[in-house]
Amino acid sequence: MTAASVGSIKAAVRVEARSRGPNGRRRRRWAIKLLLSVVMLALAAGAALPFYYIVVNTFKTPEQSAISPLALPSPFTFENYRNVVNSVPLLQSFGNSAYVTVLGVLATVLFGSMAAYAMNMRRTRANRFLRLVLITALAVPFQVTVVPLYEMMVKAGLVNSLSGLVIVYMAGAVFCFFIIDGYMSTIPKELIEAAKIDGAGVSQIYARIMMPLSMPVLATVAIFQTVGIWNDFLVANTFLSSSSKYTIVLQVYSSVGEFTTNWPSFMTLTTISLVPMVVFFLIIQRKIIGGLAAGAVKG
Amino acid sequence: MLARRTATDRSELANEGRRDIGHRRLVRWRETLAVQAFFLPTVLSFVLLVAVPSILTIALSFTNFDGYSFKFQLVGLSNYSALFSDPQITASLYFTILYAVATTLIVTIIAIPVAVIVNIHFFGHKLVRAVFFFTSVPSLLVLALVWTYILSPLGSGVVNYLLYGLFGLGPVQWLSENHLAQLSVIMVGVWAQVGWHSVLYLGYLQSVPSDYYDAALVDGASALRRFFGITVPLLAPAMTVSVVLLMISGLRVYELPLALTQGGPVYSTYTVTQNILLYGVSNGKFGEGSALSAVFLALVIVVLFGTLGVLRYRERRLQ
Repeated sequence: MTAASVGSIKAAVRVEARSRGPNGRRRRRWAIKLLLSVVMLALAAGAALPFYYIVVNTFKTPEQSAISPLALPSPFTFENYRNVVNSVPLLQSFGNSAYVTVLGVLATVLFGSMAAYAMNMRRTRANRFLRLVLITALAVPFQVTVVPLYEMMVKAGLVNSLSGLVIVYMAGAVFCFFIIDGYMSTIPKELIEAAKIDGAGVSQIYARIMMPLSMPVLATVAIFQTVGIWNDFLVANTFLSSSSKYTIVLQVYSSVGEFTTNWPSFMTLTTISLVPMVVFFLIIQRKIIGGLAAGAVKG
Repeated sequence: MLARRTATDRSELANEGRRDIGHRRLVRWRETLAVQAFFLPTVLSFVLLVAVPSILTIALSFTNFDGYSFKFQLVGLSNYSALFSDPQITASLYFTILYAVATTLIVTIIAIPVAVIVNIHFFGHKLVRAVFFFTSVPSLLVLALVWTYILSPLGSGVVNYLLYGLFGLGPVQWLSENHLAQLSVIMVGVWAQVGWHSVLYLGYLQSVPSDYYDAALVDGASALRRFFGITVPLLAPAMTVSVVLLMISGLRVYELPLALTQGGPVYSTYTVTQNILLYGVSNGKFGEGSALSAVFLALVIVVLFGTLGVLRYRERRLQ
């Protein structure tokens, strides 16, 4: 909430207080806020219950969990963590996920921003038509392209390879292009003209002016892409076959069978797999509310 | 050069001018090319990863290509007619549309009031926002796998554990009875998406100038009238974005039913996307898989532009 709107709410409260008697209205507002707190915190607790359930069971033996799945563990056991760390190649899967996510995000954001830059330098009729053609890509689900794409990737020798997976993720460049294009169009054209007069070339204007000025939307798009690629199951499951290439999401999926009888261990694997996303969430949390609007409103 | 300069006459001047224009044109043409080159990576990835495969899919849907032998023939529309007589496919079309429509409706009905409420500064509003939003950060596949345990009738099943403990109700077969399985998939889908969409609405709400509300407060409008009279119309553009995203992700649903029910019981939660992968990649029925892809593409495009059209019309009427 911005300072301006906080100020105006206060102003509104003051107006009300003046028109409706001094204390009654204010006391009612407090009562409403208290009620909201209770109701909303209860709802949030309900929504978060699955996460509590996941984490609390990682410290229990299967017997403890079966008796009371929601109770606190007594005694605490770290057996599940030992079990999972010893039986699942966690470092390898995290490494694979990190590799495809970093390269995939860099490539799509770079490509998308380049195209958005070109669009903003020359918004000609032909380029606007190109934009329209690219829009169709957003409507085409991956499943529609998967059969021929798979054949093409086999021919190119890029199946069951992490780099091949990154190439498939590059289709996301079109999405980045749209969001970034919307934002870049709000950057004053005078800045570009001034740089041209100073003798800046096409790539200099891109690297020194448009990219730094687009940082807020680049961050938003990078966040979307990071969550999307890190969590991707469909594409990775289609193009990767050997378990040494598995990303962490594939690893969790393929371990379900292994842990059917020992579900506290499965919850432990889940918990470990969620750690990077939780850390990422804590970092971006403040950014996302404003950023989501920045990307969407202008895009 | 010097000699020529001294011998300058009008025609020479004109000549230099022309050469200058030619030079400038060359510079501008080079610049144009340099700018257009910035489109290349995106356009290349679009052509190779989206356009060519989509066109191939549509072309393959009229053949009996099996994925291995290149001796295939045109079979006309027979792949398409085979689709609609296959119960596994008609069931998946039904459930996919049901899921997309139901999650879109329920998420929208919940997300807007939630966004309005968490925009109020009550005690703990930031925590509530964070918790709601967090549900949409982890992988949907991983969360769905966890939900299979939560909904299980066995010892791990918290839902049944609570139902029994609180109301004495016997174990409910959430995932193995047709309608309950469909309901479960939809409810988990709502749970996983509602937070993200309320944050989307919240972002728009925060960009709404509060003068509107001040004016309404002074006029003495009730909270309900403020909600329907000011908030909902102002959120119309946000609703367009949110509803389109929900419909598209709803039609593309894949991981959630796969992890929760594997499409069962008896096709009741099969999705179109699951069938495309089954037919096209696993079973080598490329013709039918491609035909289903083509139908699916048409469905997505119709829904996308239909929804966009309706919502844009509504936006214009409300503002």
